[in-house]
Amino acid sequence: MENNQELTALLILPLLGSLLSWFIPKASQRLYALLVSFLQLATGIYIASHANFTKGGGLEQTLPWLSDLGIQLQLRLDSTSVWFVLLSGFVSFVVLGLKGSWYRKQARLFTSLSFFLIFAMNTAFLSTNLIVFYLAYEAVFIPMILMVGIWGTNAKATSVFRFFLMSFFGSILMLVSIFYLSYLSFLKTGNLSTNLDDLMKLSADSNISLSLCFVGFLLAFAIKVPLFPFHGWLKEVYVNAPTPATIWMSSLLSKLGVFGFIRFIGPLFMPTFVEYQGVLLALAAFSVIYAAFLAIQEKNPKSLLAYSSISHLGFVMLGVFSLSDAGRTSAIVLSVSHGLTSAVLFYLYDLIEVRKEGISMDRYSGMARQYPILFVCLFIGVLASLSLPGTFNFVGEFLVMLHAYPVSALCTILSGIGVILGSVYMLKFYQRIGFGKSEEMTSTADIHGFDLIVVMVILAIIIYFGFQPSIFLGGVDNV
Amino acid sequence: MFDLANLALLGPWLVLSLGIMATMLVSSIRIETRLPAKIVTIITLVLVMITSIGLFSEGTKTVLNGYIEISKLSCMTLFFMSGISLMFVVGSGGYLNKEKIHISDYYNLLLLMVFGASILVSAKDLFVMFIALEVMSLPAYALVGFRRNDSRSNEAAIKYFILGGALGAIFLMGTSFIFGASGSTQLAQIFEWSKGYNGDLLLFVVGHLLVLFAFLFKVAAAPFHFWKPDVYEGAPVSVTGLMATVITTAAFVVLVRLFHLVDFQSTTFAPYLESLKQLIRVVAVMSLVGGSTVLILQKNLKRMLAYSSINHTGYLLLGLLGTLSKPDQIYSIWFYLAGYSIITCGLFLMLSQSTTTNDQGLELVDLTGLMKKNPYFATVLSIFFLSMVGMPFTVGFFTKYTVFMSSISAGEVGFVVIAAICAVIGAYGYLRPIALMVMRDPDPSSASFVGTKFNQAMIIILAALCIILGIFPQALIQLTKGLELIP
Repeated sequence: MENNQELTALLILPLLGSLLSWFIPKASQRLYALLVSFLQLATGIYIASHANFTKGGGLEQTLPWLSDLGIQLQLRLDSTSVWFVLLSGFVSFVVLGLKGSWYRKQARLFTSLSFFLIFAMNTAFLSTNLIVFYLAYEAVFIPMILMVGIWGTNAKATSVFRFFLMSFFGSILMLVSIFYLSYLSFLKTGNLSTNLDDLMKLSADSNISLSLCFVGFLLAFAIKVPLFPFHGWLKEVYVNAPTPATIWMSSLLSKLGVFGFIRFIGPLFMPTFVEYQGVLLALAAFSVIYAAFLAIQEKNPKSLLAYSSISHLGFVMLGVFSLSDAGRTSAIVLSVSHGLTSAVLFYLYDLIEVRKEGISMDRYSGMARQYPILFVCLFIGVLASLSLPGTFNFVGEFLVMLHAYPVSALCTILSGIGVILGSVYMLKFYQRIGFGKSEEMTSTADIHGFDLIVVMVILAIIIYFGFQPSIFLGGVDNV
Repeated sequence: MFDLANLALLGPWLVLSLGIMATMLVSSIRIETRLPAKIVTIITLVLVMITSIGLFSEGTKTVLNGYIEISKLSCMTLFFMSGISLMFVVGSGGYLNKEKIHISDYYNLLLLMVFGASILVSAKDLFVMFIALEVMSLPAYALVGFRRNDSRSNEAAIKYFILGGALGAIFLMGTSFIFGASGSTQLAQIFEWSKGYNGDLLLFVVGHLLVLFAFLFKVAAAPFHFWKPDVYEGAPVSVTGLMATVITTAAFVVLVRLFHLVDFQSTTFAPYLESLKQLIRVVAVMSLVGGSTVLILQKNLKRMLAYSSINHTGYLLLGLLGTLSKPDQIYSIWFYLAGYSIITCGLFLMLSQSTTTNDQGLELVDLTGLMKKNPYFATVLSIFFLSMVGMPFTVGFFTKYTVFMSSISAGEVGFVVIAAICAVIGAYGYLRPIALMVMRDPDPSSASFVGTKFNQAMIIILAALCIILGIFPQALIQLTKGLELIP
């Protein structure tokens, strides 16, 4: 690990962005947001490109914060977190370019909340102190809930409540587990610490049973991902949230759960994790199939995308639960690819929604003729989502299945069915809104300008990594 | 033994007494002229704050034959209580005018109450405690019934008075039993007695439990809580706020003192400690579960805050449970009290500024759409409610953190899990008003907030404190870690 003083830039930049947005005129909020998020992305790329991630290397920075309570601000950018940080930078840039009601109504608040969200997410991805991680993990809720509440649609209040309470329930049990862990480490070493490296030593001690703490962590992250049966909050929130919030949730917040499994549960509770592996694998496989079936029978396109997200995340979890380094790597690959794919799908879907304002989602049809370029892009996105070979998702899902097969053949085969079901619902989705009888012809233009460039860039990345995953894998391989 | 040096040690109390006399004189001139009384009160409270800071460096001393203790703990509590009272005095003028109860007697009674509370936190003798309790409570009864034309205010005052009187009697009875067992009413002597005692415990235990019950009543831990919602609802908002902060703080400090009345290291009392812990467990769980579940059913904001304070008492008892086996964790209680008082003070100052057409007081639905109508108030109110939830980056997070840590370090993991689940239930209750404010459009019947300049200044200070202490709590933690409980 290399000591590096630049890591705080990844936190300070969004925090400053959040504060300064209140001084920017309302009309130029979008420009400002794009500028800051681009700067953020560039900083991330710059820092990452100067680090050497091979053989457990990376960057580290420690800042004193609350040493009385055993809390320090310890940041670590290693081969796990770097991809999540970069994904967060990139997706945020994409999201903030999206035009919509959020830049018309209370635009300053929106920009400020967005950057606060990025700040909290980056803190969660970087911190190796469990309490700081918890703080950031909770802090993510505040902007998320406000976004859904202020810019969301109809039944937002109920959905937000369910979302918050379920997540809060999980995470507060995680907090108690963190306390207990630090108490155990206090008993053992006489030193009150909540640092990951110190607490990791506990699992080596066979006298201590950590299964209850494991359950606390598991609930927190399984609700966030979400893993069946904790997915109850997801559909309503995704559907009612404004598109930026939906993209953030599906591409990044769910990854926060995945990241938690990789960064914290793995190292802290490996013996218990192995014990429960069978159950967890079965849950992941069931998530894949169950969500796929739900998606197939779903009429509302946005809910369909929400369910497809659960299905894909089941795959990611399958990779994580295979408990091998290679499986973990493939889970990270799939996380990033799913982040990009779901971002582009929701982005395009929002463009469609804007063009069809006033028409119920259930009645979308026959739009491909009207917006040919948009629907070509959407088609590529759909293909990427159903993991066509040559797209990034294929690489991820293939690797996951490859590494999960030796652990549990049955679960892997069952998940394989999920891929087939995936093409059923994704093609159905495309067919329903793209083809068929077009009811009303509106005069809105096809996709153009900034939107087109952004979508093309994401699709290019998805296809590029589909053919050239080695660059990506080189960086993750040595976790 | 009396000399002038001791007189200087009694500075805060002397200042308070002078202030009380001055306000009394001023109010005798003409009851409607409240400005002089207000100014005298403000000056008195500021002087109390200054003198108690001055005493802070004195170390631990006892004056008046060991009846009054001057320690870091008592000075800090005194400073804190007078600070909170000052906030209320400065911030609630507009409310008192609106309710037409802004007369100089209000300030006189308020100072008397603070006086009683200040003796209570530094009393080292059970009889002094009783007198201080009455000095604190009597003005409080009068203040609760200050809205003379409102039947609910009268009801609250009567209820509070009768129950308060009863608990005073219970306390005295307990004192007499303890005196019978130990031969003293001074805390230090009782502690000494307990070290060498190895006889029958029954008399002492009965007395101790009675004394404890009296104060569990005062802090309204379930099942001793039933007076609280009615009193909170009936009392004027600023008085409710004072009760929730000053009286709760004073009563809890005494409760902690009373729990540490005897030396639990001695073999005679070690088994008793276990049963005491069992008692706290029961009371804490009842307060946590009862407070949080009933909290989410409330429609009236003041009643909701009453149940919330019962819930918070549960957390405080959880911290206390930890300190009984780990005395070094006692700072968690002081820290919690400080944080909770700051949040509560802010909330009640906010509530005092609402105008609602509803004569039942401010209901939750009155907050509908406040974010659009009055973004400033809605934001600040959200900060306070989020602090109550224990959201990160607010002081509420670290208050919960310290008490959870305290009882985890005593091995009470199961209870912390219960408390954590109650925190989630409570979170629903606190988030409901936020959801109403932020996610709905205002309707014409909803309340509006019109704060005076002073009120707004106080609220902004408190909201800023909530957030600053939520990010940099070190200073307060360090301070509270220095506050030892001297037997």
